[in-house]
Amino acid sequence: MNRWITIVILCGAILVGCSDRTYKPREIISETDVCKICNMSIVHNEYAGQIVLKNGDYEIFDDIGCLMEYLELNGEDEVGAAYIKNKANNEWIDIYKATFVYNKDYWTPMNYGVLAFATKDEAQKWMTNEGDGQLLAYQDLLTFNWGIHE
Amino acid sequence: MKQLGFFLLFFLFTSQTAYAEFDIQFAIDQAKTGDIIHIPAGRYEGNFMVKKPIILRGEEGVELYSQNNNPVLKIEHAANVSVENIMIRAKNKGIVAHEAENLELRAIEVKDVQVGIHIQRSKHVRILENRVVGNQSHYAEKGNGIAVFKSEDIAIEQNTIEQVQDGIYVEEVKQINVQRNKVKNSRYGTHFMYSSGVEVLFNTYLHNVTGLMVMMTTNLEIANNTVSSHNDFNSYGLLMYDTQQAMIRKNSFQNNRVGVALQKSSVIQIQENRFQMNQTALEGTKVDDGSIVNDNQFTGNILTARSDHQGFRLVRNFYDDYTGIDVAGDGFGDVPYVAVSSFGQWMVRQPVYQFFVASPSVMILTSLDQQINKTEQNLLVDNEPKLLSDMKETAFSINSIQLLIGLVVSMCGLWFWKRGMRV
Repeated sequence: MNRWITIVILCGAILVGCSDRTYKPREIISETDVCKICNMSIVHNEYAGQIVLKNGDYEIFDDIGCLMEYLELNGEDEVGAAYIKNKANNEWIDIYKATFVYNKDYWTPMNYGVLAFATKDEAQKWMTNEGDGQLLAYQDLLTFNWGIHE
Repeated sequence: MKQLGFFLLFFLFTSQTAYAEFDIQFAIDQAKTGDIIHIPAGRYEGNFMVKKPIILRGEEGVELYSQNNNPVLKIEHAANVSVENIMIRAKNKGIVAHEAENLELRAIEVKDVQVGIHIQRSKHVRILENRVVGNQSHYAEKGNGIAVFKSEDIAIEQNTIEQVQDGIYVEEVKQINVQRNKVKNSRYGTHFMYSSGVEVLFNTYLHNVTGLMVMMTTNLEIANNTVSSHNDFNSYGLLMYDTQQAMIRKNSFQNNRVGVALQKSSVIQIQENRFQMNQTALEGTKVDDGSIVNDNQFTGNILTARSDHQGFRLVRNFYDDYTGIDVAGDGFGDVPYVAVSSFGQWMVRQPVYQFFVASPSVMILTSLDQQINKTEQNLLVDNEPKLLSDMKETAFSINSIQLLIGLVVSMCGLWFWKRGMRV
């Protein structure tokens, strides 16, 4: 009897191991987290981004611009998931589904002026209060001219 | 008698209340161009606004404070304003200047604030001899000591700043002189972003996460600074990221995790600096061929240099771990100094390896490296290593008090020993 129970548990464990892996974001630790690209420590959590690699490692970024530079340099093959903070409520959101707003006068840690939101409505609401901007999707970020603009 | 004493003490401790007779804002509003307003000693609560060319001068013991989130003192669209000799306490920002010209802030003490002095879109600003002390919270939860944004021709001199996020934060500024300041116990001592025409001279940076952080900035001179004791997990004495055209000269980098790090930078000259007792003296990734490290002194560092495959040029430096000889007698070693080490290169890729520095296995690996890497010809090689240090020899001297104490202790010891022997 004990042998059968052991076999069932083992099979269960193997099946769980074979299931789709989820890549969850982790919290930022300001004491030790630095941006993978520019080396700045992460003190403005509301702009931070992170990539969860398929091997379980995390790469942390202080600004969406640095995250995009990492993707440009390393490609997306090893990326399990990528997250950015929602400027509206400081929650992690999937960068592939996020809505972005650009305005050169929006302050961000690297001063790229691109903010992320979970929905278009949140982005519109932000623009109503903080000044109009240009709405962007993830695909637009791939060709975006990162840097400060006069 | 005792009761009378307590009664008098009560008045002594409550005499620092607001000076009701003097209305600072009214005096500012009534002042004519160029007037000097002398503020009598006392505590004044409020959010004061200056929009005209005047001088605000505090007597000894003037304190301005605010209990709301607005700045205590705001200077807006004004030229030729000077503020001197006051103390400021604020919940949020101490002093904010917006579109000011010919502004001078001198001898101001700003305490328990989120942000000390905040300058935006201003020209010809002098911030001199001030003291900014932040609150006790973590640096991620507070603001900068002195912050300057989108401005031109700025002088920040002889200020003392501690316990803030960045001691001096500079963003999009043209022509700035940061001189003789002291910044400690903060995140970054001084942090430059997108600026040009920068001079950083004779400053002292102690016990911050990183002493000097320079990002996307061009045309710098960093000279005669002391950058010491930055040794957290991610610390640097000086970190330059995406920086062009910099002269780093005659600085002292001591006891840092990494003395100087260059990332994605070009045309950088590191000359005549002292690197002492750093975990790694120099680190370079994506450094161009136009950059050079010459005539520096490397003493007591665990690793002299580490880099990616590009490396950087080392020329005529002194290394205390160089073992070659000078048969030619020209003052330079006859065989090249090779700084490359396997462990150093691994640390560039995985900073967490720093915890194994100086472990027995790493020591053996480094010794093996020193034998094997003698054939290295390109990466981190100095073909003219200096044999003599330029460091000044300390003159022979005797401390007479120490000598006397030593003699007395020795004699006493001898006397007790002899006495013990007789017994």
